[in-house]
Amino acid sequence: MTSSSFHLSRRGLLAMAGAGLATASLPSQLFAQSGRNILVVASGQDIPNFDPHTATGYSASFFMRNVYDPLVRVEGSPPEPRPALAESWDVSDDGLTYRFNLNPAATFHSGNSVTSEDVIYSFQRALELAKGNSWMIRGVVTPEGITAPDARTVEFQLAKPFAAFLQVLPWIFVVEKAAVEANLGDDMGQSWLLTNTAGSGPFQVARYQVGTLYHLGRAETSWQEGGGNLDGVIWQIVRETATQRLMLQRGEAHIAVDLTSEDMESLADAPGVVRVMEPEYRTFSIKMNTEHGPLADINLRKAIVHAVNYEAIRDSAGFADLMTGPLPTGILGHDPALEVPRMDLDKAREYMAKTERPDGGFSLRMVHVSGLEQQRRWALIMLDSLKQIGIDLEIQPLKWPDMVAACASPETFPDFFPVYQTANYGDPDNIAFAAYHSSRNGGWQNAVYSNPEVDALIEAGRTEIEPEKRAEIYGEFQRKVVADAPDIFGVLELRKIGLRDSVQNYQFTPVASNAIQAWPLSIG
Amino acid sequence: MLYFILRRCVMLIPVLIGLTLVMFAIARLLPGDPVGLAAGPNATQEEIAALAREFGLDKPIWVQYANYVGGLLQGDLGTSLLTRRPVAADIAAFLPATLELVIAAMTIAVVVGIPLGLVTAVWRNRWPDYVSQVLAIGAISMPRFFLGLLLQLCFAMWLMWLPLGGRLPIIVFPPPTVTGFLTIDTLIAGDLEAFWTALRHLAMPAIAMSLSPLATIMRMMRASTIEVMNQDYVMTARALGLPRGKIILKYVARNAVSATLTVIGLYFGWLLGGTVLVETVFDWPGLGLYATKAIISQDMMPVIGVALVIGLLFVVANLIIDLAYGVINPKVRYS
Repeated sequence: MTSSSFHLSRRGLLAMAGAGLATASLPSQLFAQSGRNILVVASGQDIPNFDPHTATGYSASFFMRNVYDPLVRVEGSPPEPRPALAESWDVSDDGLTYRFNLNPAATFHSGNSVTSEDVIYSFQRALELAKGNSWMIRGVVTPEGITAPDARTVEFQLAKPFAAFLQVLPWIFVVEKAAVEANLGDDMGQSWLLTNTAGSGPFQVARYQVGTLYHLGRAETSWQEGGGNLDGVIWQIVRETATQRLMLQRGEAHIAVDLTSEDMESLADAPGVVRVMEPEYRTFSIKMNTEHGPLADINLRKAIVHAVNYEAIRDSAGFADLMTGPLPTGILGHDPALEVPRMDLDKAREYMAKTERPDGGFSLRMVHVSGLEQQRRWALIMLDSLKQIGIDLEIQPLKWPDMVAACASPETFPDFFPVYQTANYGDPDNIAFAAYHSSRNGGWQNAVYSNPEVDALIEAGRTEIEPEKRAEIYGEFQRKVVADAPDIFGVLELRKIGLRDSVQNYQFTPVASNAIQAWPLSIG
Repeated sequence: MLYFILRRCVMLIPVLIGLTLVMFAIARLLPGDPVGLAAGPNATQEEIAALAREFGLDKPIWVQYANYVGGLLQGDLGTSLLTRRPVAADIAAFLPATLELVIAAMTIAVVVGIPLGLVTAVWRNRWPDYVSQVLAIGAISMPRFFLGLLLQLCFAMWLMWLPLGGRLPIIVFPPPTVTGFLTIDTLIAGDLEAFWTALRHLAMPAIAMSLSPLATIMRMMRASTIEVMNQDYVMTARALGLPRGKIILKYVARNAVSATLTVIGLYFGWLLGGTVLVETVFDWPGLGLYATKAIISQDMMPVIGVALVIGLLFVVANLIIDLAYGVINPKVRYS
């Protein structure tokens, strides 16, 4: 696939690129020589397809954020809603009605204006397909609850108040109804949107090679205000993080999004490279089987959470902070004063004394994803920690699909189950609901833990729209979860991104920060 | 010979049917929940069931198998559960890169390994033999990904002679696809500069892939050359006073290479299925990475598709080797 928006002569470029063995071809230099500002982002994840209502993963988020538009975007830390297709909005006092006024300048790549009809069509399509990010609005937005008072206004009548509504909207993208309808096929346009787009974003696909690169060129119709000097952006698939680092050092990539702690250490003094290490809403914890087996005994769980060597867990994680409760630091409602268990063997033995087998002498089982060195290290730390209270640990590496299958019931769920949880949207509801609500039982995010009081608090936090009251609710929620000790709270790994110092206007947002939003960026 | 080729092609059918059967059985016997995984952590049970229905995975396995074979006869290798892309299109996109890499690696291994084997046999127990023996052990022992990283550090990072990875610089548009091999397609397009660029990108991954087969071929060639050199007819030729070079090149090498051919055929198949580490290090967008990702997520349609294609290529490669025996040694008869 090629585009007329990329007018470089291949012969000319090759003359520059392949002049001889002694000359390395550095794409950034070649782009600079060509007078075009093309941002190169090195990432390990391929983009699965181009359908904004079915594709998932951070690579898909990158693609959608740049090729499509949502009603609102998020920016800053903590993430705040900002105008996108909607230039303004009003919320009713009861939090049930949202009215969005579309930006009259908003234009699809086809040249047609973005209308309220396109917005309604997109939400209805997302709900009907029930794939991708549609779960974020499931049960909150109904197809009949979206109306269009006029071509520039969209009104949502929510089925129930949902405080995080503005935080989930950035992940529901708007397609051009006419383009999708013209290519509907028998699957609501899914086949067509695998390789075609119908967006209004600042960039559009210039060319792509599956598994290699996705080159987005600045759309001629780009209507968004502000913006940097980029003529295009390339999402280059670079599987090995060490290679991403080398590319960054050589100037072959402007941004590398999958770097490890080791990479960051070796980039410490690299000339021309800026390291970004910020806490993201991404938690690592070890879930315990609260429903079946020895860990159903809360005293044993409390003994264990006091026996764990948290410092070792943090040290082995590289650049990371310890979790201070079930919610990530910095998110709305997070209570920094919350008292969470730390290593205290006396306390651990006190709790052990209240269990059926106070001297231990039994074995528990911990699984981890095979091949994930970090998780294996944590399992070894657990082995060492549990020995202190007389408990053996059987460590079993499993493939991820087998881990997911083990979550089906308390009987199949292991005693310890390590899990990363990444917030899909910048609201405490996301992690609280996914990780602790009993309706998620059977899934890998919360296989077994269930407490009706915690459920009630999570539901209250969802529907309450006053931020102060929500903070109180989530404060209570955190205290209750800590008291139940369903998890060993691990670390918040810092998001590690490497930038060339020529990249300007980069701003970290703790949600989907590796799905780079290229529009505001410039290359100096 | 035509009958031989036809017979081997017919024999391919049960091999491929067997492969699909085995892969289907494995897909069913493996624990895990690929549909739940593809549906994502936030999918409801209804949504997971709907996805299973969409892909026909709610049907009994024999119905699934029949549907798959039906599609296969029409060139349809199914759809990936994770990316929702057609498997045949994905394989068509990734296979040429892997084939180009494997053929380049085998070419290096054969072109360097056979003469080296010959040389070390002729000068056996002297310094060229000792040096090559040490190098061969090193080449076989060193993991390919490690060698790849070393090559990258040396030639891309320090010397800056070669690119880090990929098949072409990202700024360059690939030539019109004819074979999918960039080195050939650039030549077809008459673009020698592009050919040179593609060749530079191919150099490091091909060298990293080639060293292990090169060492094996060299040692194999050495052993068979020594064996042939002790044959009576070679003694006779020497006694008759034929020039040493003529004896070695015309009589010894030709006979010794027959045994090495088997190894070349086997290695070709082995490399086809074992490119993943080199592909990872050099960002070579090939079949190995595609298959590995599918295996890890139990996305079985791509796994079965790749197994079929590699199986097919393996059989074809060995057929070519069998035919080559006859070319090298006319005494070989096809039956």
